Amino acid sequence: MNELIHVENVTFQYPGAEHPVLKKMNLSVEKGEFLAVIGSNGSGKSTLCKLFNGLIPHFYTGDFEGSVTVNGLNILNSSVADLSCHVGYVFQDFENQLVQARVLEDASFAPLNFGMEDYLQRGRRALELVGLAHLADEFVWQLSGGQKHLLALAGCLAMNPDIIVIDEPTAQLDPYHAKEIYEVLKKLNKQYGKTIISIEHHTEFIAEYCDTVLLLNKGSVIWKRPMRQALSEVDLLTELNIYPPQAAQAASRLGADHVPITLNEAVAFFKEMIPRSTPSVTKPEPVQAQEEPVIRFDQVGFSYKSMNKKQAQVLKNINLSLFKGEQVAIVGNNGAGKSTLLRLITGVKKPESGTLTVRSQSVASCTPEKMADHVAYIYQNPEQMFIDDSVKKDVAFFPKARKIKDYENKIDEILEQFDLVDLQDKDSRLMSGGQQRRASLAIGAAMNPSVILLDEPTASLDMATRKHLTQFILKLKEQIDLVMIATHDMQLVSEWATRVIVLHHGQIIFDGGKEELFSNPALMDKAGLVPPQIVTLSLALNVDPVDYSVDSFINRFKEVPEEWPLQKASQIN
Amino acid sequence: MAAAKSFADKLSFEQIKIELLNTAYGNDRTLIAKLDPRTLFLWYTFFGIAPWFIYSKMILAGMLVFVIGTTIMTKVSRLIIFILILGLLGESGYLLIASFFFGGNLGIIVPLLTLTMKLSVISLASITAFCSMSPERLGEGLLRIGVPGQVSFSISYGYRMLPTLFEEYNHIFMSYRLRGKSPEKHGLFYFRTVIYFIKLAVKSFYPLLLSMAKRARTTVEALETKGGQYAFKNPAVKKLKLAKLRIGKNDYFFLLISVLYLMSIFISSYYVQF
Repeated sequence: MNELIHVENVTFQYPGAEHPVLKKMNLSVEKGEFLAVIGSNGSGKSTLCKLFNGLIPHFYTGDFEGSVTVNGLNILNSSVADLSCHVGYVFQDFENQLVQARVLEDASFAPLNFGMEDYLQRGRRALELVGLAHLADEFVWQLSGGQKHLLALAGCLAMNPDIIVIDEPTAQLDPYHAKEIYEVLKKLNKQYGKTIISIEHHTEFIAEYCDTVLLLNKGSVIWKRPMRQALSEVDLLTELNIYPPQAAQAASRLGADHVPITLNEAVAFFKEMIPRSTPSVTKPEPVQAQEEPVIRFDQVGFSYKSMNKKQAQVLKNINLSLFKGEQVAIVGNNGAGKSTLLRLITGVKKPESGTLTVRSQSVASCTPEKMADHVAYIYQNPEQMFIDDSVKKDVAFFPKARKIKDYENKIDEILEQFDLVDLQDKDSRLMSGGQQRRASLAIGAAMNPSVILLDEPTASLDMATRKHLTQFILKLKEQIDLVMIATHDMQLVSEWATRVIVLHHGQIIFDGGKEELFSNPALMDKAGLVPPQIVTLSLALNVDPVDYSVDSFINRFKEVPEEWPLQKASQIN
Repeated sequence: MAAAKSFADKLSFEQIKIELLNTAYGNDRTLIAKLDPRTLFLWYTFFGIAPWFIYSKMILAGMLVFVIGTTIMTKVSRLIIFILILGLLGESGYLLIASFFFGGNLGIIVPLLTLTMKLSVISLASITAFCSMSPERLGEGLLRIGVPGQVSFSISYGYRMLPTLFEEYNHIFMSYRLRGKSPEKHGLFYFRTVIYFIKLAVKSFYPLLLSMAKRARTTVEALETKGGQYAFKNPAVKKLKLAKLRIGKNDYFFLLISVLYLMSIFISSYYVQF
């Protein structure tokens, strides 16, 4: 037996909570496993993982029952520090885990604290493992999000632990960087025999990297199974708001017993059965370049002064006309300039060169307060938008400041529309991630803008919340002239956008329909984009037109083709 | 007004952040920055305190020349110097005007000048000592002279969080602007606009505190897992941290020069009076 972690009959209740988070939990993890922990919000995933390094019950002293052994140590008799020599933990908000100013200092912080004389070598070695060795003397705040995540991992690796726990790496990172992290984890698992435990929502990552899957629901273990077997349980997973790979969803809905998980399997599976006669599908009419554009970029450039006093060019030569009725997705890697592009439109930042007009009005000569009459910007992190002490007050901030008549009625309407009536007196900061997102959208809607800019609206949401949110985004279209979304979420792009703009190192390298984009693998690769599985599958199967959602893919197998499923996109995942 | 506006444009959050961080970390290659923190502490105990007890204008002027020299050597950011000068002029100017109201005459200028000189020597000495030490070195130095490890950790952690704090504050401030309403008319001397911005600047602190408190929770957990508590009690850790500190030739040389210079001005002030 190579059992590394043994959890027996564990029940835990946070102090002051009404119900236990973990109920009579039993679990065993073997050495060298790559385990994915899945379950909907509140199922106890993070709580379970915090048992392994003793944060529970030593740091969170709630009611603890049962026994946990990690690498032969009983967690009740070992301190958090002792257990941390065996278990490395990368938090979900990993940025707050970095406590030193420079990269090497942070990586070697733990071994230094434990008084190890070779602490610097350990830090260097950990940096090499994650591929950050060249940045050893850099300041932590100069790193990109992906690099910070790797550094948080390096900080754990410096102690050379047998077990690495990583809390939702894909929630805060774009798919490209999430893949990078998983490649590092794979290396640690295969070459160095580390046991990896990853809390993960994205089943496509699970399918590619994990060996086993642990499914939790309401504090209990439903099962722990090998990956393939686990992801085949399409119905059960869907019921618990976890979405199996799109190919598996499609196959399952077509009544298959053995569903394909990976792309190759899916191609083999569907090759024979895909109908050769393509049903006639009506494509949405491209929006004609009518009248005046709502927003116009003319040779716009933007740069800022970085720490080492050099000018860093964020955007250059941006030429863009955006028209009424368009649903524009802006995609590209982190640091490609997406957020900056949106912020220029709000007037918070002024273009350095060129002209930018919104409704024929130059943004450079307007204050952000003035621009707010037309444009609403929804932050990536909703918490940065909460400036009052209740949801209702936050939503009412804009109309109140402008003394709009009868705004109270309008606010009540919006609160209802965004399902916030029961939460309206709560402090927005204390709500869950999904509720915060909804509140941030409601704030935007209350501004009654003609342009709404959403920065990563679906980031760090679990699938259920994400689905819910997509519906609100679709509703926005009815009231607002132009919706722009900067996003990494290719499923959202594929189901929603009518026009896609790809940014790469501050320049537009593509502007057009998603059809064209998704059928250009070289371009996608350059911009670090990964199309949704169903799109790749339809491309591999040579179906025409390409399917952008599971629903439309399934419709091929039905006799009567349905309408283009855009209006139903909200129900699909 | 146009000049003020262009100055305000340049003085963005981003700019202040960069200046502050450069002040803290940017000039670690100067001669003074390479000195041992203990040398600087010793040097500062004299230059930071002695001027209060010295009334000879000659000696004060001599010290001022010396600290101006050392300040130039530390290559400190111009923003810091600008703020310092603004502060000194403001202080003396206000005292001068106040003294006129209470029956003073131009004779007040000479004693005020002495006071300004004292303040300048102390301020410039502080800049020399503390702007050239990076927060880490300052922390190590404090640890060496027996200050608890928690203090030196707090200093380096504080600086680590500084850019995050700035960004967060900027976001919140902009949230107010993106939804608020600025005054229609600027008012006399931009009076209304200035009041509006001051209000926002103050209001933005409240959400900032809450969001920072939330962040700190993860940090505390992470510190626990990285043996933070353990380190403060373990003498071996202190030894490792301080292994780099050495008093070398340069340190003695720097102190010697300072002492020789001080002696020379004390002696010459005995002969030259004005």
